[in-house]
Amino acid sequence: MLGMSWTHAEVVDEVRSVVAEHMEAEADITEKSELVADLGIDSLGVMEVVADVEDRFEMTIEESELQDVATLGDVVAAIEIRLKADDKLKETASP
Amino acid sequence: MRTVVQALEDAAESAHTGFRFIEESKKSEPFFTYSGVERVTARYGGAMQAMGLKKGDRIALILPNNQDFVFAFLGALRAGIVPVPIYPPAGLRRLGGYLENTLHIVRKSGARVVLTDGSIRRLLGTVQSGAPDLQRIEAIEPMRNSREPLEPEKISLDDTCFLQFTSGSTSAPKGVIVSHGNIAANVRRFMEEGLEVEAGVDSGVSWLPLYHDMGLIGFMLGPLYHRNTITYLPPMLFLKRPVRWLETISRLRATISFGPNFAYALCVKRVRDADIEGLDLSTWRAAGCGAEPIRARDLRAFANRFAPAGFDHRAVLPCYGMAEATLAISFPRLGEGVRTDTVDAEGLAGELKANGAESGSGGAIEVVNCGKTFEDHDVAVFDPKDEASEYLLPDRVVGELRVRGPSVTSGYFDEPELTKKAFAGDWLRTGDVGYIVDGDIFICGRQKELIIVNGRNYYPQDLEWEASSIDGVRKGNVIAFGTRRPLDDRERVVVVFETSVTDRDARAAVKNEVRKAVRQATGLSIDDVVDLDAGVLPKTSSGKLRRNETRRLYETGELFKRTSARQGDAIGIAKEIVKSQIGYARDALFIKK
Repeated sequence: MLGMSWTHAEVVDEVRSVVAEHMEAEADITEKSELVADLGIDSLGVMEVVADVEDRFEMTIEESELQDVATLGDVVAAIEIRLKADDKLKETASP
Repeated sequence: MRTVVQALEDAAESAHTGFRFIEESKKSEPFFTYSGVERVTARYGGAMQAMGLKKGDRIALILPNNQDFVFAFLGALRAGIVPVPIYPPAGLRRLGGYLENTLHIVRKSGARVVLTDGSIRRLLGTVQSGAPDLQRIEAIEPMRNSREPLEPEKISLDDTCFLQFTSGSTSAPKGVIVSHGNIAANVRRFMEEGLEVEAGVDSGVSWLPLYHDMGLIGFMLGPLYHRNTITYLPPMLFLKRPVRWLETISRLRATISFGPNFAYALCVKRVRDADIEGLDLSTWRAAGCGAEPIRARDLRAFANRFAPAGFDHRAVLPCYGMAEATLAISFPRLGEGVRTDTVDAEGLAGELKANGAESGSGGAIEVVNCGKTFEDHDVAVFDPKDEASEYLLPDRVVGELRVRGPSVTSGYFDEPELTKKAFAGDWLRTGDVGYIVDGDIFICGRQKELIIVNGRNYYPQDLEWEASSIDGVRKGNVIAFGTRRPLDDRERVVVVFETSVTDRDARAAVKNEVRKAVRQATGLSIDDVVDLDAGVLPKTSSGKLRRNETRRLYETGELFKRTSARQGDAIGIAKEIVKSQIGYARDALFIKK
């Protein structure tokens, strides 16, 4: 995936698929889902999710950015900051 | 016997060994020889003196970056200033309990300065206004380029080296006074006797937080005395990618590395087969385990899993220690691996005796052997009621472990009452329940209320604070505690609260909210939430909640008799806990007698 560009929807889908792999129970996963409180992933599990997400997007999320990750949307936002900095985030037309 | 400062000055002759700092996002790995460390820390010490700090003044350190921490800590020591390490916040959204705790430590230690980084500094406003002795909160960044010269101070073995704050069982955190003499005594024992370290030759790798004694003394001060090279990884990097710990040991051919039990279990769970192929762990001769209850099963699983990478199962070293004894209390002999004692659960529960049992038979449990204590130190078992430590209990009788010797603290800073209570005669009460066989120490459980899950310490106060914020929960009528059954691989976390809500469904909703709030705030999943009618929780005559008593009532099931509607699973849990010999032993020892 090196050099690949992403749309917001693609980033969300990719993160959702990673998160789904780490969940034990069935639950709807949305951008507002809290990883710990809603999806039942424990704090070490969240670290695992982050490591997997980093591998998929080939990036490192800084510790300072990691501290406040609560929802799936927060993970997406942290990734998009990096993607944008590397000019790998596609602008999508607003609906 | 040398002070830490003398040890650093002596180590400065070493142009080959020192500290290496790995950062996740940086390719370079800055390495400072001890000669370099001596020069840099002089500047940090000088910068602190330029802030007006004098010998004996306290400086609180909230420094998440390893390099900052090492230099600031050692810099303070060289100026005779007493560092007070405080753990950094876990995130910006979980500040309530954190700030309360930090404010308590800053006030209690009388710190004149808090040294932190620029981003944390912005969060500490309430700490500044709540601590009368605190003059300023400084960011460390400018100190990195300081050119202030150090005015050397005369420092002796009796001087306080630093204050190690630990969470008390029923009280707020208290500061263990650790003197230079304590450090010199303990380092000598665990480095020379325990690890048989070859000065300047053995090398270590550590991801342990430096605000905790195992990282701070085990992997910074100990190695400094013996000029061994240590490589530091950020704790968060280990949690994210446990394999980096093992890769670093493999790549640098390190010989010594420690971790709590959960670190070994995490590696078994998370490191992939493909990663193991590239590892060579054959140089790792001391794989220490301590700081939380040790489970033989996890350590054996680790040894098996990494045997193909050359890991020698005999390198595993289950240790016992505590901040009040500086760090280490006992080590097994090197090269023996995990040794255990299989005892009869009934005997342990009924007679408080650790009678040998057939392994695998019903009611048999396995207790890890933590080895013997060091020369000029003593460990013995006493009846907790034996206030003067007059009657040593014989081998295999379960009681309170007590320790004495030059590693033991003189007490808690500015806490004469707590200090008095911590000793029975000239022995330090460890608060741990255990027994001894031919000098080998076996720990059955912890009396303390600290809830330890996955190597992180959770303070019941933090959980209670979060639960209290939920509508329907009676404010200030919440108690959290950890409890452990014999085969549980971790402490079970229980939150009990009072509510005035009567409708069953509404109560269930409140319980869900409590679960969610605690998880959200601390990342910790509660195993059992118990709702009680108003007025049911036990209180002291002054109206304070009694945490130990609540746990006892929970473990014996008595708590549930006080209410009507109760979930089936909760009763099941309570029944199993009643059967647990550890819970029973604790009751019998500390409450009923």
